[in-house]
Amino acid sequence: MQQAATLSRVDPLACVVVIDESAVVKEMFQSTSAELGVDVKLFSSASPAMGFLNRFKPDLVVMDIMLPDTDGLTFLQELRKTSLHRDTPIVMITTKDYAQDRLIAQHLGVLEFVAKPISPRTARNLILKFGKSHGGEAKRMSRG
Amino acid sequence: MGAKQKECPAGEAYIRFWGVRGSYAAPYVAQLGVGGNTSCVEVQADSHLLVCDAGTGLIQLGKAFESEGLPNKFLIILSHYHWDHICGLPFFDPAFRADCELLFFGPGGSRKAIEKRITQLMKAPYFPVEPAVWMAKVRFIEMPNNHFQFGPIGISYQNVHHPGITFGYRIHVHGKLIVYVPDNEFTFLSRSIEQRYSEFDAAEHALLEQMKSEARNRELGLLRGADILIHDAQYTPEDYESKRGWGHSCYVDTVNAAIDAEVKALFLFHHDPTYTDKVIESIHKHALQIIHERDSPLRCEIAREGEIVRLS
Repeated sequence: MQQAATLSRVDPLACVVVIDESAVVKEMFQSTSAELGVDVKLFSSASPAMGFLNRFKPDLVVMDIMLPDTDGLTFLQELRKTSLHRDTPIVMITTKDYAQDRLIAQHLGVLEFVAKPISPRTARNLILKFGKSHGGEAKRMSRG
Repeated sequence: MGAKQKECPAGEAYIRFWGVRGSYAAPYVAQLGVGGNTSCVEVQADSHLLVCDAGTGLIQLGKAFESEGLPNKFLIILSHYHWDHICGLPFFDPAFRADCELLFFGPGGSRKAIEKRITQLMKAPYFPVEPAVWMAKVRFIEMPNNHFQFGPIGISYQNVHHPGITFGYRIHVHGKLIVYVPDNEFTFLSRSIEQRYSEFDAAEHALLEQMKSEARNRELGLLRGADILIHDAQYTPEDYESKRGWGHSCYVDTVNAAIDAEVKALFLFHHDPTYTDKVIESIHKHALQIIHERDSPLRCEIAREGEIVRLS
């Protein structure tokens, strides 16, 4: 019952972008999103994710710092310079659980900094907490 | 070139350690056998001079420009901007010579960002001479598609596990691969998983093992194929216990990673500034014992200031 009540808080139109090299983490978000009826777009590196985010504004971006083609903090700094993503909700999930990384992330407006390892429950809780649709942008992403 | 040219015939290359300490310089008698200067490694091939990091070792490299006649064009790649990797820059003699050219690369994502990080170091009130008055021609470079070719030297980078944004470099020269990773904490995720194992239920334990495996493959991927690996080995196992999360490796983890990645030669680097020559010799002895016990062909040396390693 409690789960059903929580589920109802998620707008079915919510869309989440996940940028992480880890196949395990991407799979967690994919299956959790499917279960919650959330649209999810998965990327293993920054470059294709940036190509996508140049065109679409998701309701939540979940990303790692350790990306194969750039570091997530520099990527986020670039993303924040665009008017489209000045306020896009961002959650960091990373093994780099260092005070300096947390501080930089905080300055870049990251909503939550989560240290790996994570479980499917963490993925679920993050989507429930932050993955709320903000309107029309979700539909635009679905067409992307 | 300076007065008398340092020999590096065409088709040959060498590495020279100008600074091998981590964290801060250690100009103490008991440490000087290994060396007291902080990170700086020269890679020279033909007439191209690559400098890995600009710690206090860079100051002596700058002096050698005149005394040994090093090439007058330097590519300086920075792993990151922590003090021990940049504090030789304000005292780098070639920066004050009009016949020299300095190229810089490091984390930041753009030429402007790299320039800002480097020049801020030398602004008032921190230092009296700003880079604006350097006489050398200075350029800040980017690496589109994660590659830069500097004569015979090909360079790419990868994020590593250290506080803030930090790179490790893969350097290809004359068919050999040098991997330079001065600051990197191995097995961080594995230890986090061990510490937090009870938070996860039985069904999730398999996922944790997969995550560990992914992280290990990533760690080793940076090292694979290395003819020479120059890697952080700052702590003994005892010291690492209290310094986990400081962004440096225990030498045991470094040796095991080099074996697992089938590296040919490992140079233990970024020595803790409190470790005497005697302590570092005991680290070397134990490293050799691990290699012997694992029946590995890995060659393992201590990176020592002033040592030259020829790539043949």
